[in-house]
Amino acid sequence: MGPRWKDNGSKATALADPMSNIVARLQSSLIQSGTCGFLSGCGVLLEISHDQVGLLNHACFGRPVTTADTDTNWFRLSLEEAFYMHHCLKCVEIIGEDKSPKRDDELWECMKLKKRTFLEFYKAYSHLRGKNWVVRSGSQYGVDFVAYRHHPALVHSEYAVIVSSEAEGHENCRLKLWSDFECTVRLSGSVAKTLLVLHIKSNENCTFSPSCLEGYTVEERTITRWSPEQRREDQPIVKAESSKG
Amino acid sequence: MMEVDAWENSSDGTVISEDDFQDRKDDEDPYSLGSIPKMQFRKDVSKACWDAEMGMAEIIEMKGGLWTTTGIVRRRKLYCSIEETLYLAERGALLLLDVNHTPISLRAIYEMVGERSSGCCWESFEAYRHLKSLGYIVGRHGVPWSMKKEKGSCESTYPQGTQENNGVAQRDLEENVSLTGLLGNMQINEVKLAFDVYLPNSKFRKSSPGDPSFVLCLTRFHPPLNEELEDLERKCNGIPLKFCHIEHGRVSFFSFNKIALPILP
Repeated sequence: MGPRWKDNGSKATALADPMSNIVARLQSSLIQSGTCGFLSGCGVLLEISHDQVGLLNHACFGRPVTTADTDTNWFRLSLEEAFYMHHCLKCVEIIGEDKSPKRDDELWECMKLKKRTFLEFYKAYSHLRGKNWVVRSGSQYGVDFVAYRHHPALVHSEYAVIVSSEAEGHENCRLKLWSDFECTVRLSGSVAKTLLVLHIKSNENCTFSPSCLEGYTVEERTITRWSPEQRREDQPIVKAESSKG
Repeated sequence: MMEVDAWENSSDGTVISEDDFQDRKDDEDPYSLGSIPKMQFRKDVSKACWDAEMGMAEIIEMKGGLWTTTGIVRRRKLYCSIEETLYLAERGALLLLDVNHTPISLRAIYEMVGERSSGCCWESFEAYRHLKSLGYIVGRHGVPWSMKKEKGSCESTYPQGTQENNGVAQRDLEENVSLTGLLGNMQINEVKLAFDVYLPNSKFRKSSPGDPSFVLCLTRFHPPLNEELEDLERKCNGIPLKFCHIEHGRVSFFSFNKIALPILP
């Protein structure tokens, strides 16, 4: 199944301004302004300038937080987004409870404590972002992430992503029962997405610093229903109204 | 009269009268659940003799064209696996006899499948039947159709030694000895490579079948784990795999394809 662009001109718009360019503009702007965020629950709050609102929206990081105060602009990032912007793009500092910026390994430990599957989810997130796919939460579709070819305003998400790991203590329980498996394949197909399983593998035992991520690999597999009556991989049914996102 | 016949055949099918050797029509039964492809009944009835030691049926009277894609050839004799035997018996295309040439009832064949003694359980039979009735050519995984290599035919790239017990199977079959070693082993694993499946092909030849289109795997309890997938993929050396899940008689097939997501601009 190919990309489903939202309008006639969407593909051209996306080609004219690739996601890597948009992210690069955001990155340099945030570095210039010395942006700092702080941990809050299972996420990071970021105060940014008015110009940066558009850049974050374009690059599809976080969600704006609406307040009555028109002088400030707030964004909330997920843990994966925040760590990606901090550790990979190096454009955001993150402040801890003691008001001083956290070191990479401190932040890493902190996020792993906040989310048991953080390591695997971050590896999956950064893997897709590293290939310039836009990654958003998949909770609307009962999966871990959804992946877009470009900005969600231009194109529907192509993949429903499940992060899989068989590492001890970090097993993802998804797709282990036939009922869940059939349900996930069925649902992904009916919203015109291909189910993509990212299997995170490692030989590393030490996970105390983010440098351990290099020892992890990501294997990409699609799961599709095959219909022997039609002798082809099943094409999800495209319904105009049921497949927003 | 029509009603009675229809009931007789759909419920038991041990006795099929002459009138019923005709293709059924789709619209015959408005209550049909439609999950099982239409059954075609045969007028030509072949005969086979069950060899309990081999766990296979030796064909003694061959009728109709179906034998080009059914049965394995060893020493100029044709043998049918239990699933092939039952499939043909269900369709009225095969009369199975015991060593004393007494007919074996369909019920007895169902019981043989239930006992899993010949390397086939009910679920693998359902998978076999589903693909067969759609025209696919289906053979036991790793069991060659024939020991004869035809001159000038394309040498199959299909690895003949992929299953540990495959070599044993070939030798056993060559020497016409028991198959039980191979068939017994097939039940141990949670996930097994069950069938080599070829697309419908009127030019199919047992002497040069080529590589199967895919290998069908059956899972028993849960969907395959990544480790299991990788292990099976290694054993199949590049032949695609498909997985089959059967519940309440509904047969579903899935592919787990490794991909490389493109790096976008």
